Amino acid sequence: MAGSVFVETPPRDAEIAVVGGGVAGMSTALFLARAGRDVVVLERGVPWGDASGANAGTLSLQVKRTEVLDLCKLSLDVWKRFGAEMDIDVGFGQPGGLRVATTEAEVAHLREYSEEQRQGGLEFEWMEGNQLRDMAPWLSTSVRAATFCREDAYSSPLLSGGALPAAVGKAGGRIVGHAEVTDLKREDGGYRIETKRGALRVKTLVITAGPWSGQLARMLDVALPIYVDVNMLSVTEPAPKILDRVITHIGGILSLKQLANGTILIGGGWQGRGRFAGMEKFADHVRLGQNLTTAVSVVPDLAKLRLVRTWAGYEAVAPDALPAFGRLPNNDGAYIAAAARGGFTFGPAQGLLISEMILDKPPSTPIGRFDPARLLTGAHA
Amino acid sequence: MRETDLLVVGAGAAGLSAASEAAKHGLAVTVLDDNLLPGGQYFRRLPTGYHHTHETVFDKERQRANALYATTGQKGITYLNDAVVWESPENGVLAFARGADSGRIRAKLTIIASGAHDRPAPFPGWTLPGVVTAGGLQNLLKGQRVIPGRRAIVAGNGPLVLLVGATLARAGAELREVVEAAPILKRLAGSIADLIAMPKIVRQAVDYRLAIMKSGARLRTGWTVIEARGADELEEVVLAPIDATGKVDRSRARAVKADLLVVGFGLMPSIELVRLLDCKLEWKPLRGGWVPVRGADFETSRPGVLAVGDGAGIGGVEMALREGKLAGVIAAERLGKLSRDQAANLKAPIQAEIAKVETFRRGLERLYAMPPAFLDLLTPETIVCRCEDVTAGELRARQDAGFGSTAALKGTTRTTMGRCQGRNCLRTLSALIAQASGQPIEQVTMPRPRLPARLVTIGDLLQEELPPIEMPKDPHLPRGERVS
Amino acid sequence: MTGFRITDGIDRGTAFQFTCDGESVTAYPGESIAAALMAAGKRQTRVTARRQMPRGLYCGMGVCWECIMIVNGKPAVRACMTPAEPGMKVETQHGVGDPA
Ligand SMILES: Cc1cc2nc3c(=O)[nH]c(=O)nc-3n(C[C@H](O)[C@H](O)[C@H](O)COP(=O)(O)OP(=O)(O)OC[C@H]3O[C@@H](n4cnc5c(N)ncnc54)[C@H](O)[C@@H]3O)c2cc1C
Ligand SMILES: Cc1cc2nc3c(=O)[nH]c(=O)nc-3n(C[C@H](O)[C@H](O)[C@H](O)COP(=O)(O)OP(=O)(O)OC[C@H]3O[C@@H](n4cnc5c(N)ncnc54)[C@H](O)[C@@H]3O)c2cc1C
Ligand code: FES
Repeated sequence: MAGSVFVETPPRDAEIAVVGGGVAGMSTALFLARAGRDVVVLERGVPWGDASGANAGTLSLQVKRTEVLDLCKLSLDVWKRFGAEMDIDVGFGQPGGLRVATTEAEVAHLREYSEEQRQGGLEFEWMEGNQLRDMAPWLSTSVRAATFCREDAYSSPLLSGGALPAAVGKAGGRIVGHAEVTDLKREDGGYRIETKRGALRVKTLVITAGPWSGQLARMLDVALPIYVDVNMLSVTEPAPKILDRVITHIGGILSLKQLANGTILIGGGWQGRGRFAGMEKFADHVRLGQNLTTAVSVVPDLAKLRLVRTWAGYEAVAPDALPAFGRLPNNDGAYIAAAARGGFTFGPAQGLLISEMILDKPPSTPIGRFDPARLLTGAHA
Repeated sequence: MRETDLLVVGAGAAGLSAASEAAKHGLAVTVLDDNLLPGGQYFRRLPTGYHHTHETVFDKERQRANALYATTGQKGITYLNDAVVWESPENGVLAFARGADSGRIRAKLTIIASGAHDRPAPFPGWTLPGVVTAGGLQNLLKGQRVIPGRRAIVAGNGPLVLLVGATLARAGAELREVVEAAPILKRLAGSIADLIAMPKIVRQAVDYRLAIMKSGARLRTGWTVIEARGADELEEVVLAPIDATGKVDRSRARAVKADLLVVGFGLMPSIELVRLLDCKLEWKPLRGGWVPVRGADFETSRPGVLAVGDGAGIGGVEMALREGKLAGVIAAERLGKLSRDQAANLKAPIQAEIAKVETFRRGLERLYAMPPAFLDLLTPETIVCRCEDVTAGELRARQDAGFGSTAALKGTTRTTMGRCQGRNCLRTLSALIAQASGQPIEQVTMPRPRLPARLVTIGDLLQEELPPIEMPKDPHLPRGERVS
Repeated sequence: MTGFRITDGIDRGTAFQFTCDGESVTAYPGESIAAALMAAGKRQTRVTARRQMPRGLYCGMGVCWECIMIVNGKPAVRACMTPAEPGMKVETQHGVGDPA
């Protein structure tokens, strides 16, 4: 197809194959292609067809665990550089975020939690009373205090889903859509990959297939434990400005933000219903109600808006909730970036770090604790 | 939670007929409808403060209409207006939004009588103020007695074209042109034997035609609208002849000054609820496209859920009235209020009438059948998705870039993601995909059904009593199943 | 003047006024905002956010959302489904309906 960023079939041979065209895979491919490497992305459907296209786009530093703050900062930096340096419009915005507390107990919890994060290098401001009202007059008076983190940001799943694949193509990477990988084999110091669009041989393999990564790893005899959450997300009709910060909640599950087009995303990780087998995923009536109740209790004006759509998507999570990426155990030349709580945030950093491993460059941030090998032993396995 | 024997969604011809019949046999019936007044589309009601001083040509249906409206007060019927049914939280339960009165309702049996809306038929300029749908025009006439323009043109395909032409002529608009895309005059001979099954409607159609002729307007068949022009409002309409495959002959195009263009290219069933209920669908182009598969007794593939009227396949008001009534009998029988024999006796005459309407429909469909050929009309600037302002050019560029699936086009352009939830663009999107891929349109993947079925105000959804929120101890840890 | 009311056979009751973009408009009890505006010759209800295109009533039945206007300060009110009321303040909606 002329002008297409996709190729119809995979080449017979390539240096590197990336399996899975979400944010993790496409970021990996981007950095490798920009370094001049021969890289092919094999995607079951179309890029951003799964979690990367269905998520809320919240890039919040302060909701993260202390162990991942440096990784998160790196990723925010890459998200920012996509637009600022690489001319890739991913709809990045950095309005800063408020993490709210509504009860005395939550206030205490927020103090404790944020102090711990301060130790870990997070910068934030404690907000309450008039200062909080002045910054966010749209917050409910039931919000007693909040931490304000200037670095909290968002990017657009919609824009990035078009722009990142296009950038990969521009950098010389090849993307094959509708090329589900059905088998992986070690062969002559490399890998043989069967796809629904034909087979290929590569030297280096990167598995970035979200929750399906475990099934792929198993083809190479690695039993990686991965769990999948069924997250719900809702979007309102477009409205004049209601809120202008990214909102999260210390005591409730909530994420809120208003996008440039005026729509407001309401989520935070409320669980829908469904099963992974058969890709059945639905909204859950009661938990949707609870999600909306929580949202309105923090930003009362939301009650006036109409709900346009609610959906559910899969988020892959490791049993210890830490990102799992690095070398695929016992398989030379194979890498995996499979599961990260809040994986849209981490995708670009994972891609950069995997590319650095492949390119034999020192990592931009220490990654030892994210080594997937940790999941093969002890309590998790 | 409210409870009812029979829940009817839609207070149009089909829904009210079903409710009335079922209540007559002793069922407790609840009717939910999202309009302020009952009647649905065909029987759209004038504001209750308006009074008729004398009968006019527009009041021919008053008796049937009043009888239908009266059913909302009939014994055994609870009618809730302004109630948007938005999802089904569990089998046999529907959730509805109705201000402070919002909630859930459990029913032993459900009848979906959701009606239809105009099929979008994009062409350059179709978004200009002054371009309205045929259904919209009829609604303004019936519900408001207002005509939204003066110098008028009607264009489209299907029986509503003649009807709207007559409406405008009788209302005193300066009707210029009435153009029907199908060569119906040539086809009439082949259809008349079936059409005659409903002689009254045939007579009406003749009257419509006379009214149009008398007004001095031109009635063209085998013509269509190819463009609407104007700065902030409609000023001019371009018409052109079209052959039976839908090919436009631009060399004979004519521009006509007008400030009102009514377009009616047929109707599409409102299937959002049956989709949310996961009812199986089938593609019936002559009935408006996707319709729920129905077994004997109108039951969908979801047990306990029946579908009738235009929402189950475009059949027109006469069909809707009768399907509704029959569904009322079926409901009463299924819920034990009628014996098998009693029900059979009641069903037989209705079924005989439905058979007649079916015969008539077959004639009508043969008369009007046209391949929808609007894709040739789209210029790069033509809007396909009205809510998100997405043009055909943008969509085709994404297709050329390889983002050609429904999901990819949706995801990268926002087409179908606005307030209309795809009602005005999904069909066009599917047609563009079908054209590019060479597939028939019915093989193009539909987006997953999503709640809400229609837009609802968030505040309304908070009226329900919910179990207390249980917080996970550590929200970072996984909550779902292990998959590897 | 483009649109008009059919008066034959109908007594609409007592007329009242509301305003649209500051101008006085006549309506009758129960009449929709859209109908009253059209009868007064005004058909543009909104200007779209992305391309600043004029739009007006299209489906006439509440499902297309093209006729949305700002009513008494509230954006995105469907003019085709909402009865006019005496003294109501109606405005053309620009984009998402930011206050003018
Ligand atoms: C509703 C929801 C809201 C969320 N909100 C946020 C948020 O606000 N912020 C945040 O940071 N994170 C959020 N997340 C999590 C985030 O979306 C994911 O963690 C992230 O997108 C994962 O990206 P990925 O590239 O690893 O995987 P995915 O996006 O899942 O991509 C994996 C890809 O692999 C492909 N694939 C699978 N199997 C194969 C195969 N055999 N062969 C070839 N290809 C294959 C799939 O088709 C898919 O395209 C949310 C998730 C959901 C569901
Ligand atoms: C705008 C319009 C005008 C028409 N005018 C004419 C005409 O003048 N002459 C003619 O011959 N035919 C006309 N038709 C065709 C007409 O649809 C049918 O002849 C007839 O109205 C069908 O009756 P019904 O009961 O099946 O559906 P309808 O009369 O459409 O009734 C369905 C009702 O269900 C409601 N509803 C749907 N979904 C929900 C939900 N989720 N929650 C709550 N309520 C819901 C709808 O709002 C509607 O009130 C028109 C069609 C349309 C779309
Ligand atoms: S005209 Fe379509 S919603 Fe009012």
